[in-house]
Amino acid sequence: MGTISKIHEMLTTKQCSCEELAKSYLDQIEKSNGELNAYVNVTADEALATAQTVDKKIASGETIGMLEGVPMTLKDNISTKGIETTCCSKILTGYKPIYNATVWDILSKENSVLLGKTNMDEFAMGSSCETSYFKGAMNPFNTNHVSGGSSGGVASAVGANIAAFGLGSDTGGSIRQPASFCGIVGLKPTYGAVSRYGLIAYASSLDQIGPITKSVEDAAIVFDAISKYDDKDSTSKGYSGTSTYETLNNDIKGMKIGIAKEYLDGIRDDVKEAVLAAAEVYRSLGAEIVYFDLPALKYALPVYYIIACAEASSNLGRYDGIRYGYKTEHYNGTHDMICRTRSEGFGDEVKRRILLGTYVLSAGYYDAYYKKAQNLRGTIVKAFDEAFEKCDVILAPTVPMTAFEKGRAVSDPIETYLTDICTVPVNIAGLPGVSVPCGFNAKGMPIGMQIIGKSFSEAQILNVAYKYQQAAGENFKDTKWGVKL
Amino acid sequence: MTCPVLFERLVSMVTREDVENIALLSKLFVPEEELDGLTKSMQEIIDFADTINNAPSADDSFDNINNLSNVFREDEVIPSYSNEEILSNAPEQAEDHFLVRNRE
Amino acid sequence: MGCKAVNYELVAGFETHIELATKTKIFCGCTTQFGGEPNTHCCPVCIGLPGTLPKLNRQAVRYAIMAGLATHGEIAEISKMDRKNYCYPDLSKAYQISQLYAPLSIGGYVELSNGRKIRLHHIHIEEDAGKLIHQHGDTYVDYNRGGVPLIEIVSEPDIRSIDEAREYVEKLQQVMRYIGISDCKMQEGSMRCDVNISVRPVGSEKLGTRTEIKNMNSINNIAKAMEYEFERQVDLIESGGQVVQETLRYDDATNTTSSMRSKEDAHDYRYFRDPDLVTINVSKEEVEEIKSTLPELPTEKCNRYVEELSLPEKDAQLLTKYRNISEYFDKACVGVKSPKTVANFIIGQIFSRVETEADKEVFAVAVSPEQLNELVKLLDSGKIRNNLAKSTLEKMLDSGKGALEFLDESDMGGLDENTLNELCRQAVESNPKAVEDYKNGKEKAIKAIVGNVMKNSRGKADAALAESKIKELIG
Repeated sequence: MGTISKIHEMLTTKQCSCEELAKSYLDQIEKSNGELNAYVNVTADEALATAQTVDKKIASGETIGMLEGVPMTLKDNISTKGIETTCCSKILTGYKPIYNATVWDILSKENSVLLGKTNMDEFAMGSSCETSYFKGAMNPFNTNHVSGGSSGGVASAVGANIAAFGLGSDTGGSIRQPASFCGIVGLKPTYGAVSRYGLIAYASSLDQIGPITKSVEDAAIVFDAISKYDDKDSTSKGYSGTSTYETLNNDIKGMKIGIAKEYLDGIRDDVKEAVLAAAEVYRSLGAEIVYFDLPALKYALPVYYIIACAEASSNLGRYDGIRYGYKTEHYNGTHDMICRTRSEGFGDEVKRRILLGTYVLSAGYYDAYYKKAQNLRGTIVKAFDEAFEKCDVILAPTVPMTAFEKGRAVSDPIETYLTDICTVPVNIAGLPGVSVPCGFNAKGMPIGMQIIGKSFSEAQILNVAYKYQQAAGENFKDTKWGVKL
Repeated sequence: MTCPVLFERLVSMVTREDVENIALLSKLFVPEEELDGLTKSMQEIIDFADTINNAPSADDSFDNINNLSNVFREDEVIPSYSNEEILSNAPEQAEDHFLVRNRE
Repeated sequence: MGCKAVNYELVAGFETHIELATKTKIFCGCTTQFGGEPNTHCCPVCIGLPGTLPKLNRQAVRYAIMAGLATHGEIAEISKMDRKNYCYPDLSKAYQISQLYAPLSIGGYVELSNGRKIRLHHIHIEEDAGKLIHQHGDTYVDYNRGGVPLIEIVSEPDIRSIDEAREYVEKLQQVMRYIGISDCKMQEGSMRCDVNISVRPVGSEKLGTRTEIKNMNSINNIAKAMEYEFERQVDLIESGGQVVQETLRYDDATNTTSSMRSKEDAHDYRYFRDPDLVTINVSKEEVEEIKSTLPELPTEKCNRYVEELSLPEKDAQLLTKYRNISEYFDKACVGVKSPKTVANFIIGQIFSRVETEADKEVFAVAVSPEQLNELVKLLDSGKIRNNLAKSTLEKMLDSGKGALEFLDESDMGGLDENTLNELCRQAVESNPKAVEDYKNGKEKAIKAIVGNVMKNSRGKADAALAESKIKELIG
């Protein structure tokens, strides 16, 4: 399996050069991207230049960091200086940021090798990657199925071994859900653990950047690297705990793993069975399973959509054709130019969410929707606080189902919104959650479960996830695609 | 206290005019032929959002995740970007300015 | 105003925007310097590039707290930043970061010279927009000013006349300059006023429908625009019409107001808490600390000059109009017997050399307040006489040198009786014409003889004493 530690070992023991490694990934992208559509922009020149730098360092006997020379990818909403960053929207076509997102600043200084930018739902609004202006990324387990969303491209690329790891963003499940669909690991960190500076905002109070990886160790390595306090982000706290990597193998005997009944409502049987089987694995490892109610979850989904759309309607106001991105050809005056640019530049789902957000903030509706939703957000935060008095971590399905066939998500917005039901509570409460593969359904599509912890308890949830990975490694599978290491 | 049932009815009716108004506020054009469909679809989403009005009223205030306060910058000048960099993504520019040309 | 206007009362409230004198913008490190080539005081944050985040300037908050304290407001322990959403090319994010739900300073007032207090609703902080230049239908956008910190001072509709409006603006300007948070230059746009104005029959308690005149950039324009708008509203009501609530632009070329908004600007700002910024928490201790750094404010200072230093009201006002003058006066007064003498020197001789208001505000005078203090003390101790002090001050103002540079020992010894007698005798002898005139009943002629004594004594003689001796000599 092409994990970070495996690649690090290969580079330091000179089993291959960094340039050869990068080339083999680039070759595989070339071969498979036509079908997977994971990448929307391949940055081969930049990748090879970085790889050569790393090779020089290795040749001169310098030690290299864990992430140094590792071929990886970024979701296309993470700003990369001089490299087109589009959010997979027509409205940002051609836009080349003049600054780096803080996470890319960190990783580029570590000499991680950026293979390219990956596909996503337009402005991260979607659960299937199909709202992308460049069409969706497909699932490496079966390309008739979606990769999930919104970080579908990263998940597809990592699942297909055409990137060793990637960074996605998670507003309502956008890291965990595609990781679950593609049979890999996705960590949504605590709000404030990773800097949002340079992440093109969808919903500022919910967005977090996090790793999508082949293994739990990799998620810990990447999280440890990127979870730094950033003085450019007023909501940044950084991760003050010890290295999450160090504590992966801690004993979980006596740990209380909670299951909230509400998380199992309306979940497809195959998913529910896999998650309950995982609970049994934990029991066999000495953990205690506790069941409780979390009734506040009932309102999580509408609360999420109200808050996310309200913030989005404001965050997306700036796309007006004046400073960057797409601008309409024919217009009559500034107001007309702005309206045409936006109407032509945004896709239907984005427009729908902007309109909903505008509606819930507008005069006469603010109290009934936005203010009420904020209030309920407080209730949900409190409910989780109380739940964590009963247990150490919460175990839940990541998604109520496995990856759906392409084209299904687009038809019914509400039904599509329901796929986020298990993932959004974590964003509302700002908690960390990690999705881990926990089995396959009858058609061989991966099933994921998530482990949710208290704020800034990444070390604990990754520890719990790792223990499962050790006990049930058969659920972490390579696909037919990509680089074989 | 507002009567919850009445309140819900009052806020949940989405009209064509509402959609036209929020489209204008959002700086989006909605073609006439899409207006009815969009109104219906907005109504469905709003009905869904309205379920929160069935939730019991709680006094749970929410400020910000992690309850941070007083995060400030010191008043120290950082060199600005060059005019070329600032304008580098502008669809149109002239005389060191962003430009919206009159195309009437 | 026409005769019918007598029956109507003007009711006005102000929204005053003041640019804060921070070195950097409110949410990024770009300079706030006025001018500069277009789009050169910009960075990804202030041009609103996707993904950028704001970080609040500590000094902007401090200045706003100072403004609140200087206008007797209550500083909120908890305040928050909100987004005001509207899409316009000068606003790079399509929202302005401002404060609606929890502003920094609540209440307060500005006291006018007629004793009326114009109540303030609140003061909040926000960011300025960029600048648009319209040319041949094209729009050029410059974001240098975008993100410059502002405070908005929102008054209650307590203003009842144009004179009050004028004084209110002047008072705000004066106070904000005193505490050093803004230069309040209306012509450069660092102070801008929106006026809400309505009329009602005298005696009525009910507020009429108001209009808002936007963005006026001089006190004279404010006065003219208000006068025009007052008459317009009165005429409208008198002729059976109704005032429509709308936003107006004042055109000083034609001295008229006209409606500003088109239907494109549907107005609903959809304010909500900015999720990119955290709560501002100002402790009582911090408020006290900031309060302790505030200078004595002009109104208090003026009252003190009148009550404690016994200065005439008019003098006190002139001396407190600008902080630099009052500080100069305070320093020059240290230990002197008569502050009025200091006031006279400043308002008389020094002001005659500092003519414009702008120069008065800077008040860069060749003579330091310590030098003036020294001169006045010489006068106090009787070592020199008033005339000599005056002429010496002129020399000091010309040269920037201290009084002692122009006065030797003999100047400061006073005059013994014999010398005075001798000087008087000489003066009578050498001015027969004047003596003759005096004897013929021309009382004033004696002044010439006294003047001769003063001249020959180099100003040291006591003019009154000399006059009585001369009268004795002439008989």
